[in-house]
Order: sequence, then structure tokens, then C-alpha cells
Amino acid sequence: MLNYLFFKGCTIPASLPNVERLALEVLPEIGINLQESSEFTCCPDPIRLQGANQYFWMVSAARNIAIAEEQNMDIMTLCNGCENTLAISNYRLKNNVDLKRKVNNVLKEIGREYKGTIKIRHFLQVLKEDIGLDNLKKMIKTPLVGFKVAGHPGCHLLMPNEILKFDNPVDPEFYDQFIAALGATPIDYLSKADCCGVSLNLAGDKEASNRCIENKLVDVQLSGAGFISTACPACFNQFDFGQFLLFRNNPQLKEKPIPVLYAIELLALAMGRSMEEIGLDLHRVKIPSKEGV
Amino acid sequence: MEVLRLKYEKNEILKKDKAIEVCFKCSTCSKFCPITQNVKKYNLENSFVTHLFETEKEVALNDVWMCCACEKCLITCPQDTNPTDAFTNLKEISYREGHAPETVYRLVDQLLQEGTVYALKFTNLARKRAGMKGIEKNEKSVEEINKLAEKTGLKGKEGGK
Repeated sequence: MLNYLFFKGCTIPASLPNVERLALEVLPEIGINLQESSEFTCCPDPIRLQGANQYFWMVSAARNIAIAEEQNMDIMTLCNGCENTLAISNYRLKNNVDLKRKVNNVLKEIGREYKGTIKIRHFLQVLKEDIGLDNLKKMIKTPLVGFKVAGHPGCHLLMPNEILKFDNPVDPEFYDQFIAALGATPIDYLSKADCCGVSLNLAGDKEASNRCIENKLVDVQLSGAGFISTACPACFNQFDFGQFLLFRNNPQLKEKPIPVLYAIELLALAMGRSMEEIGLDLHRVKIPSKEGV
Repeated sequence: MEVLRLKYEKNEILKKDKAIEVCFKCSTCSKFCPITQNVKKYNLENSFVTHLFETEKEVALNDVWMCCACEKCLITCPQDTNPTDAFTNLKEISYREGHAPETVYRLVDQLLQEGTVYALKFTNLARKRAGMKGIEKNEKSVEEINKLAEKTGLKGKEGGK
């Protein structure tokens, strides 16, 4: 059994609580044991809070890492943003003695210390490096035969590559291998490595954000996939809620809705859960009919 | 969209990020930049990255918040510049001078109040709907990050609005 301290972040507990529940329920079945902590705060997010004050961003990330170090456990997260912030901070602090000293001087004020003794893992990294897709395949209970899934790995799990070392950032492959390991068919599409557009949404340019979503959705529709899947809650909300809002302006899109499945939801389906059990009723974009499956 | 203008010394960015000086505006990054591709006023000739690099002193700095830090520009740059870092530095100035989008200041307030960027009141409604236990505010953690905010300058006279 692999043991990790579960870093839930902000978005998953708030807008995808079913994903949090599924992680705690399903991951033990594939050998991942998660412990919870109520001491963590926001990672903080790499787009806006890093922009507001990089020093604060680094120090609060170090505080979160220090909490896991006190329990002598590696961190596992389900969110690309959390992974990005925590892994970058961990890497820079481990490799820069002056920065570490400066950050620890601040952490001393709250009685904590960053030591640099633990690893930060995204759930997909755990599957890739700690469990292995071949082993995962053996543990699957109901292979997702007939599911055509377009994978969207998301930007912040791919870059900076020299720190995350996860996948090819221009032509990512692992997400498709993950989909295939669950028995589903991975569908390649043109804009696979493109951004979901969430920062445009946050900066207030909804029109440009919609264009980002639409470009990807049209590509996915043309590729023949029935679902889009991601392991980032910000991307998930762009595709699910964003797509739902797009239907109002673009009735053509509504003719072939693309339901979104979080990586954990996809895994839960392959571990024998039903669409109801994974919480599909909480999604905005529903499954149109049986034919997509 | 209202354009916010902010005076800043380009030198301040250059001091933090010397690499951007060697940008020769080849526009390779813009072919991959999601902002250039999707925001109407940007195109290959006037891309998101070069527009902000070329600006002398004043720039529509609310635009820097569009950067999603995906680092596609960094992967493709033949000159090894790091536009993403430059944008993060620009965001920092924008925030400090009070020109960041209102949502960013609200986000910081929310974080320092409850330790999470979503109001717990709404988080717990969503959790109830999903049949899950609510989250309680951890007073000690919130106290700790407020202390960190004070010490790092996020909170206080240097900390924006």
C-alpha cells in the first residue's frame, strides 16, 4: 500500500466534491491509501496568487509542504494547479540554499520549518511512476470497452518540464495511455495540448475564453470522441460549465454535447462504479444517449 | 474592455528577468500562445508576448492577467527567453500598484479570511448537495497564513489596494 497525505486544494472540495469522495473510496482499491489533514491552506494558485506576490506564494507553499514533512509523508494531489505550485516550490527550495534560508526565516515566525524531505505527486504521476499502468490494468474490474475518450492533460502538469518531468509538453502521451489502460479507446485530436482558456475567463475576457473552449470542443466532436477527460479542476469547469453556457449562444454545439469525466471518475467507472455512483448528476453536461458510450 | 494604464519602469522587469532583452520578436511563441490565438486584438504580427515586451513605459497591464502561465512560449522560444516569468513579474507590479482585476484582490481577501479561495458558505452548500460533510474553518491555519502575508508584504502598505 502506498501512503500519501491528500492535498485536496480549493476547487475540488468546493466545486467537485464527488471527485474528492471518489478518490477516498476508489484509490485504496488500487493500492493508494490517502490520509487527510485539516491544516493545509490554498496551495496557492499559480496564475493569480503567484502574480499577486511571488514571495507570499512561495512561503505559503513551503508551509503546506512543511505540514506534510512534520507527518513524514509525501503529498498527493488531484489538481494540476496544486501540483504545479507545490512541485515548483519544492524544487526551488531544495536546490537553492539562500532561498530556503530566507523562506525558513519567515516560517520560523509561525513555528514551522521547510526541510526538503518529501515528494509532491499528482495522482497521474503516482499512476505512472509508483503503480505503473501495467499493474493498473490488472486491477481494473470493468474495462471501459466502447468508451471513446479525448484526453486533455492540461498545461500545468506538463510545464515546467525540467521540474515536473511528467510528459512531452508539446505532444503529451501519458493521458492517452491512462485511458487505454482502463480499457477505453483514447482519441487523438488536433488541439490536445492547447490551453482550456481559464485565465482568460478569470481576466474577464469571456468571449476569448469561450473561443478557447469552442475550438477544443469542435476538434473533439470531429474526432468522434464521446467524452473529454481531464485531471485538472479548472479545465474541468471550463469544459463542463463553460460548454453548458456555450450551448445558449451556439445551438450547433448542443447537437453533440461532450460530457466531461474527471480522471478519477473514469477510474471509478473502470473499478465497477455506475454513472450514478460517480456523481454524473452533478455535472452540467449530461450524457445524451447510449450511442456515445 | 476598459484599459488600465500603469506607469512602470521597464528596468524593474529587466532587473528581475534579463533574458527578455534578447527577444527578437520572431513571433514563434505566438503560434502556440493560447492568448494570442483567442484574444481578438492579438495576432501573429502583434502577439500577446511581443506587445507587452515592446511597450516602453505604459502598457495595458490588466492584460498581463490573461497569461495562464502555461509556458508554451518558454518551450518554443529560440532565444531561451522566459516570457512566463516576465508576466508573473508584471502581474506583481500591477497588483502592488492597485491595477490588478478586482477579482484578484477579492481572491486574496477570501484566502486570508478562510484559508481557501472559495467562500466556505458556498463550498459547504455544494458539499451538502453531493452528500458530503462540510468543511470547518481552521482558525490556526488562517492565523498562520495571515502572519505569512504580513511578513512577505502581501498584506500591508506594499500589498496592493
